[in-house]
Amino acid sequence: MSEITLDGLEKRYGETTAVEDVSVEIEDGELLCLLGPSGSGKSTTLRMIAGLETPTNGSIAIGDEDVTDLPAYERTTSTVFQDWALFPHMTVLENVAFGLKMGGVSKDERRDRAREMLERVQMAAHADEDPTTLSGGQKQRVALARSLAVNPDVLLLDEPLSNLDKRLREDMQIELREIHEDLEKTFVHVTHDQDEAFTLADRIGIMNDGELIQVGDPDEVYERPENRFIEGFLGDTNFVDASVTAATADGVRVDTELDAELVVTAADGTTPDLETGTDLTLSLRPEILSIHGVDEERADDAGVRDARVAADGGTRNAVTGTVENVVYRGSTVRYSVSVGNSSMFAERTDASTGALSAGDDVRLEWDGDDVLAFRDDGDRVMP
Amino acid sequence: MSSTLHRERLEDVAFRAGYAAVLAFLLLPLVVVVVTSFSKAGRIAFPPESYSLVWYGEFLQSARWIGAFVNSLVVGVGTALLATLLGVLGAFGQELEADAGGDGIVGAVLVPIVLLPLLVPPVILGITLLLYFNEVGLRGSYTSIVLAHTLWATPLVYFVMRSVFSRFDWQQLDAAHDLGAGPVRSFVHVVLPNVKHGIFVGGLLAFIISLQEFVMALFLSTPSTETIPVLAWTEIRQALDPMVSVVSTFLIVISVAAIALAALVTNLEWVSRQLS
Repeated sequence: MSEITLDGLEKRYGETTAVEDVSVEIEDGELLCLLGPSGSGKSTTLRMIAGLETPTNGSIAIGDEDVTDLPAYERTTSTVFQDWALFPHMTVLENVAFGLKMGGVSKDERRDRAREMLERVQMAAHADEDPTTLSGGQKQRVALARSLAVNPDVLLLDEPLSNLDKRLREDMQIELREIHEDLEKTFVHVTHDQDEAFTLADRIGIMNDGELIQVGDPDEVYERPENRFIEGFLGDTNFVDASVTAATADGVRVDTELDAELVVTAADGTTPDLETGTDLTLSLRPEILSIHGVDEERADDAGVRDARVAADGGTRNAVTGTVENVVYRGSTVRYSVSVGNSSMFAERTDASTGALSAGDDVRLEWDGDDVLAFRDDGDRVMP
Repeated sequence: MSSTLHRERLEDVAFRAGYAAVLAFLLLPLVVVVVTSFSKAGRIAFPPESYSLVWYGEFLQSARWIGAFVNSLVVGVGTALLATLLGVLGAFGQELEADAGGDGIVGAVLVPIVLLPLLVPPVILGITLLLYFNEVGLRGSYTSIVLAHTLWATPLVYFVMRSVFSRFDWQQLDAAHDLGAGPVRSFVHVVLPNVKHGIFVGGLLAFIISLQEFVMALFLSTPSTETIPVLAWTEIRQALDPMVSVVSTFLIVISVAAIALAALVTNLEWVSRQLS
């Protein structure tokens, strides 16, 4: 069994704390993505699991064994590095065979196993080449083969795809996923790219400022982020400052910088007990907003609209505004809309229906229970 | 526009010419030494009245000169080995320390101490070491001169290795550890092959330093361990014959050959990198 248990892991460099109190259980055979912006401590955490950094505090166990004080060369982990770190003075084959050589495998056997690994990553044809002559994608494959050749219990991937171009990166994500399913080993993958994390991960651990804020299934962290940082990090959204005017069983009424009173409802009918005047931040993701053009006549009485009850029982909210600019983004069209003193954006997937252009008056609508609300300390309060 | 360009070119030519003149002026004595070594007469005169290889013959027949030559080689090789070992380890240790997060004992204490001998006048070092080696019973041994020269050569090897290591991709060391290579094996299999040319150049530098060093060797050597510069100095005081020029020519040739070798090695490395 090779589940990994991190307990109260901490890494300080002098005054700065790179990783703070990270505790998580990574299950055997799981692919966990550590996702966070640069400097969030995710690579340091990975390097501590590899044994390449010594934790200041806390412990690391792989299976039943406490490996906290075990040096990297005695751990059953293997790392694919961001810049791949291939040995330039060895051929591709020698690179892949290096770990086996260190493990005392005989010359013939390690050559056969290295070839096997190179075939697995479709690099057998390059076995005798100098690794410095390879392209980024090829280096990445060789690095992967080199790490897999030692048959590690845990494979650690430190942003190995971040130096590849988009197309290649997406292909490699699928391939990594397949290799993971094939090997049934524990993988820990570090990335700052949320798309990559969603493509690869069984579970995602979100890191920020050295802390592991939330660990959960991809849909869980996306739909129920624990705090405002995660909501902002996992995709584009409209953050709207709001202030509670009334909290009732039907929902929370808020006053907003959109010059409109809106209602936030919880789908399960539970409304938190919020005092009047509590400051909140609402998150309105572009995919929950629908955008419609408003006719000239109706634009006069537009300006501000209050919430009204929608037909499905949920509370429908609407505001009106003016299109500021239109950005064509291939599969979607993004509209920036000025609403009140603020500005929001919405998207349409189909550009052909009712093309809107800058200057048009529009109405934005959404369901009150699709909105997430965060307290000013960042914690999510609704839903 | 074109006049500025013209002026710039003129300045460039003038600068190069001036630079070449200074260099020529500094190197001219070497030419004089080499030319006088081919003199036939018994006294050094420039230009010599007639040319011959007679003094080269004298040199090869002189047991004392050959002995000094061997002494210099022994001390030079000893210094090169010891200074390279210390310089490489010092620079490597400091890199490891920096990699592990900031300056520790190596960077803060050891390195300044290692650099200190460069700042102490060699006469003072020579006298001090003479007293010290007398106490510990190393007087007149090869070891004493090797240790003295190592004091000087180590910081220079250290500087060379700092620059070599700064170009080394330290992630390779991580990768080696990660793949199961312990500290010694990762150094031998991964670090060493990547910096071997730098180590070679550092070693040559240490060898040349030792070959040329005179003051400390004068204090520390005995007739059985005297090096070429020491013997040359002794001889000059007795007679200014072209033998000194012959010996100097040998020293110049060896130094130039060593530098050429170092340049060749680094250039080969550079060429192979360009080709790959």
